[in-house]
Amino acid sequence: MIATTNFRYEPSEHELEKASNSYVMSLIAIMGGLPLPIINLIATLVFYLGNRKGTYFVRWHCTQALLSQLFLLPFNSVGFWWTISIIFTSENITNNYIAYILTIFIFNLVEFVGTIYTAIATRKGTHVEWWVVGGLTHLICKDK
Amino acid sequence: MKKILIEMVLTVAIIAAVWFGLSKVDWMKLLNVEQTTQNTEEKIGDLFWKMLNNTESEITSDSIVVPVDSMLTRICTANSIDRNKVKLHLLRKDEINAFALPNNHLVVYSGLIKGCENEAELCGVMSHELAHIEKNHVMNKLVKEIGLSVLISMSTGNGNAETIKAAIKQLSSSAYDRKLETDADLTAVDYLIEAGIDPEPFANFMYRLSDETQNLPHQIFWISTHPESKERAEKIIERIKGKSFPKEEAKDSLRFEQLKESLEN
Repeated sequence: MIATTNFRYEPSEHELEKASNSYVMSLIAIMGGLPLPIINLIATLVFYLGNRKGTYFVRWHCTQALLSQLFLLPFNSVGFWWTISIIFTSENITNNYIAYILTIFIFNLVEFVGTIYTAIATRKGTHVEWWVVGGLTHLICKDK
Repeated sequence: MKKILIEMVLTVAIIAAVWFGLSKVDWMKLLNVEQTTQNTEEKIGDLFWKMLNNTESEITSDSIVVPVDSMLTRICTANSIDRNKVKLHLLRKDEINAFALPNNHLVVYSGLIKGCENEAELCGVMSHELAHIEKNHVMNKLVKEIGLSVLISMSTGNGNAETIKAAIKQLSSSAYDRKLETDADLTAVDYLIEAGIDPEPFANFMYRLSDETQNLPHQIFWISTHPESKERAEKIIERIKGKSFPKEEAKDSLRFEQLKESLEN
């Protein structure tokens, strides 16, 4: 899921802090935004926009943090609206619904733990690339 | 790019596989979901009925209860519905009304029996309410209208009398949404057909009472709370178009007249 590699250059202490903050931002938003799946995405997006003129290292990690939030968004949204339809319409709780909620809970938990790990590792100067998301970040975020 | 796509497809496949695997576990049984829902419904249904029974007078005379009960039994038996689970209550009240409460309570007012011209009309209305029970519309409506937390609070004995009265009013004097009403109408038609009862008088009942509503708005609850009655009657007629049914229950019968006379006494 997570691979540690060397970044193209040695980031400064200030860059490490900012890059690590992009993950911390999404963690705080997860806690505040539950059960609305869009809140943490918006928070990460705001942080990303605020740092898009930052150094390559900071931009790279802000982009990875944003994409990691974006990846689970469709799955979380389905779970959110499925729950709403159960509460407010004639839809009933089914075995498939419970299994789906557990599935997205497991993957959100994996993402949550991964985010904490990445925030700490990034602060210590280790460059962490996520499965799928890391590759996508390389495609989007280029060194100017 | 190819590597990213493969990783993405693989991730989605893993998520789908985990979902599929977890859905093989019987969570409903494991988490006691059905039992908990059932318990809440039982408690609320009995609470509502107790409250209603305290304020209205229940008819217990065999000459009235037995014929209505036999009509309901006939519909249930023909449609493989467990008759013992449906609790039929006849209440002495002039409103032309019938409604379902949670936990399979079916309430019929004497005004409805008087307002019907024949047995088939009464069977139609009872089938409609039976369909609401069978399709779990009652609890769904309550959850939607007053909220799950209030219902659970009621079932644990924390509901106040005013809230309970308001919930009963919701069930007895307001319609379900159009989709559920149509669903109950068409299911009622199927029940009647299975029981060998002509569904046309059920449609006639709606037509007739929707015309009369303007003169007697306070009494004809069942129709005045279902504003699209004519449209619904047309849907029923459409459903049975070209089919023929025995007309025995559709006629004014001595048996039904005797039932109505018993209510006068």
